[in-house]
Amino acid sequence: MKAKGRRDARLGVITRGSLVEGLEMKLDPSENIEDMKAGKFVVIEGDKHDFFSMVTDMRLEATNQEVLLHPPEREDELLRQVLSGTSTYNIVSLRPMLMMPKDPASQDLEGPRPVKAIPSHFSMVQEAIEDDVAKIFGREGDDEGRFFSIGSPLDMETPVCVDMVRFAERSNGIFGKTGTGKSFLTRLVLCGLIHFDRAVNLIFDMHNEYGFKAMKETAGANATFVKGLKQLFGSRVAIFSLDPDSTRARGVQPDYEVYISYDQITVEDIAPLQDELKLNPTAVESAYLVYAIYKERWLRTLLNLEGPDVEEFAREIGAHPGSLVALHRKLKRLEAFPFMVSKLDDGDVVDRIMEYLDRGINVVLEFGQQTSMLCYLLVANIIARRIHEMYVKKSERFYATQKPEDQPRQLMISIEEAHKFLNPSAAKQTIFGTIAREMRKYYVSLLIVDQRPSSIDDEVLSQIGTRITALLNDEKDIQAVLTGVSGTEGLRSVLASLDSKQQALVIGHAVPMPVVIKTREYGPDFYREMGCLDDMSEEERRKKVEADAVALFGDS
Amino acid sequence: MNTSEEKKRQTPLSRFMSAEGAGKGSFPPGVGEHVGEVIESSTTELIAEACHLHGAPSFGRFIRVDAEMSIIGIVFNVFTHSVEPNRRPMAYGKTEEELRLEQPQIFELLRTEFQALVIGYLDGDSPVHIVPPQPARIHSFVHLCDDEEVRRFTGTDDYLRSILGTAKLPTDELLIAALRHTLEAHENSRAYLVRMGKELSRLLRDDYDRLSSMIRRIAQ
Repeated sequence: MKAKGRRDARLGVITRGSLVEGLEMKLDPSENIEDMKAGKFVVIEGDKHDFFSMVTDMRLEATNQEVLLHPPEREDELLRQVLSGTSTYNIVSLRPMLMMPKDPASQDLEGPRPVKAIPSHFSMVQEAIEDDVAKIFGREGDDEGRFFSIGSPLDMETPVCVDMVRFAERSNGIFGKTGTGKSFLTRLVLCGLIHFDRAVNLIFDMHNEYGFKAMKETAGANATFVKGLKQLFGSRVAIFSLDPDSTRARGVQPDYEVYISYDQITVEDIAPLQDELKLNPTAVESAYLVYAIYKERWLRTLLNLEGPDVEEFAREIGAHPGSLVALHRKLKRLEAFPFMVSKLDDGDVVDRIMEYLDRGINVVLEFGQQTSMLCYLLVANIIARRIHEMYVKKSERFYATQKPEDQPRQLMISIEEAHKFLNPSAAKQTIFGTIAREMRKYYVSLLIVDQRPSSIDDEVLSQIGTRITALLNDEKDIQAVLTGVSGTEGLRSVLASLDSKQQALVIGHAVPMPVVIKTREYGPDFYREMGCLDDMSEEERRKKVEADAVALFGDS
Repeated sequence: MNTSEEKKRQTPLSRFMSAEGAGKGSFPPGVGEHVGEVIESSTTELIAEACHLHGAPSFGRFIRVDAEMSIIGIVFNVFTHSVEPNRRPMAYGKTEEELRLEQPQIFELLRTEFQALVIGYLDGDSPVHIVPPQPARIHSFVHLCDDEEVRRFTGTDDYLRSILGTAKLPTDELLIAALRHTLEAHENSRAYLVRMGKELSRLLRDDYDRLSSMIRRIAQ
């Protein structure tokens, strides 16, 4: 641990503030207010503690109204220089996030803690240095393999690391307006989870972005492609496809083609589709009536009926004819999906997914051209519900036997357009609501990717462990993202002022303090660190293989 | 910057300052190079008679009175008058040149004196911004401070405070003149000017009008 006093970029001194409202720093006249960006990471050096803080707001102040009424002329540079820092000065609001004792001995004992005190008057504020960031966020490449760098603080090059163990423990959210890099962030996080093997992933890949190659949005016409998970991790990732033709057309051979039989769809899978199918509440009740008699064959039976027969059928089972006719008509849409089959030739897709997951292979489920919301909701629901059931069983077995080999692998299910599953009405019906609430009890958690967090049920939002948030503008969305986070006043302004590309605010369980990051570059360097050999020269590749061989089998 | 420096050289005051500077001797100056002699002295002020008629150091200049602990002052008033209190000079309606030819004696009857505000003293080489324990002795010689001395004495803003603290002076004018001289000693350093400006702003208790007018005039 290095001694204090190595920070040498003084920014100003603390002049006022409170624990509740945050602190105010008078900016040194020599510093330019334009360098103080919202979200910047600074350290307040108190007498006993260092306070790690974030810049949340800035203000121009003047001691004298006269100055404001008769501002110096434009050419009067000298007067402006004289006034700056005296009559006119800048106040920067800081939000202390963590405190750490200065004494190296107690540092090792206690580490960073939540702020329970404030520094005294005129405590010096310094720009944070690499060591500070590492002390708080850990370093990538530690022995346990916990820390995964997802970017660097604003204006700094030091990596900010997310604690992947803690990240995998709970449900997490990645939010941001469209085009702000949600997919990149998600891909980055997934890479971290897979690389450090902290959780096995099931990814509902609605837009075919994660499995193989994805387009990188760049200014101008030169679209470039980045590697998908399959390319980076090879056999540790399996691509399942609902639309094998589309997958093949993109030059990838899916590991498994997904078909779903009518018998696999339960009424619970239909219920969340109320909005999409425009079902009325009685339709679901009618469906239950059919189910009561025909059990798992209910949907097949219903769809096999021809139009005029439905009314009669309704009368037979005692359902409301109008309602059942409507249900029948609307469910007919399901027949149009190419992946819906009446009989499965190749076994149950969910069993196959479970088999892969059990082996620690991550599954990317591509939707190909089946990008309708209906299809996405239906399939995600069917699969997630059954996976969840299996996980509950596995967990219970583990609780009973308590044998380490029975412990289920931590599973993280990634869903896009999450608000469709988790809006206040759907959250109670879809399995995703249950997963989000029950959290890690059954070793399943969610990675929620969404652009409209305000539509997500509050109860679900408040259970989210780590939030990675790119730019959001809507006040409601910002409010929603900060639900369940303490001390949010300052973060609001930070969130609204992020760049629209490559910047994100990380808050929650997996980071000790909220931090604004410049997202890690998802490019050749990253591929290499993830162990992908494709872009290496022959020499490098050989060295790496040899090193790996030594690591595996020992020197001999 | 160059153009503004050139402009500065053309202003009357700068011309005067540079002429005076050129007349300065080596340091420490010999007896012959003094500019005046103390004829009245108190703890906070002194009056000296200039060696030559109209030869007083200009307004706002730093002077040093030779003593065990050299006293540092700033010239704040220069006046020329008749040696005899009861005789006032009269107007002759002639140029000085003509008068010198026709009536050289009248110039012998005139004296130039200057008043200086005592702002501190030198203890050895180190400047002390406190009024000296003893006033300057009568008949001590008065020298102009050289750039090095001025720099040493004006590293901090204490001299500005001394000037401002004196009630009966034309404070603003003196501050401007003193700062202009100081600035010259500091090689027209912009950073120094800004620093002193900031101190002035504090000392003037945020009197924006006064400050802006002074800053403007110092920079002229």
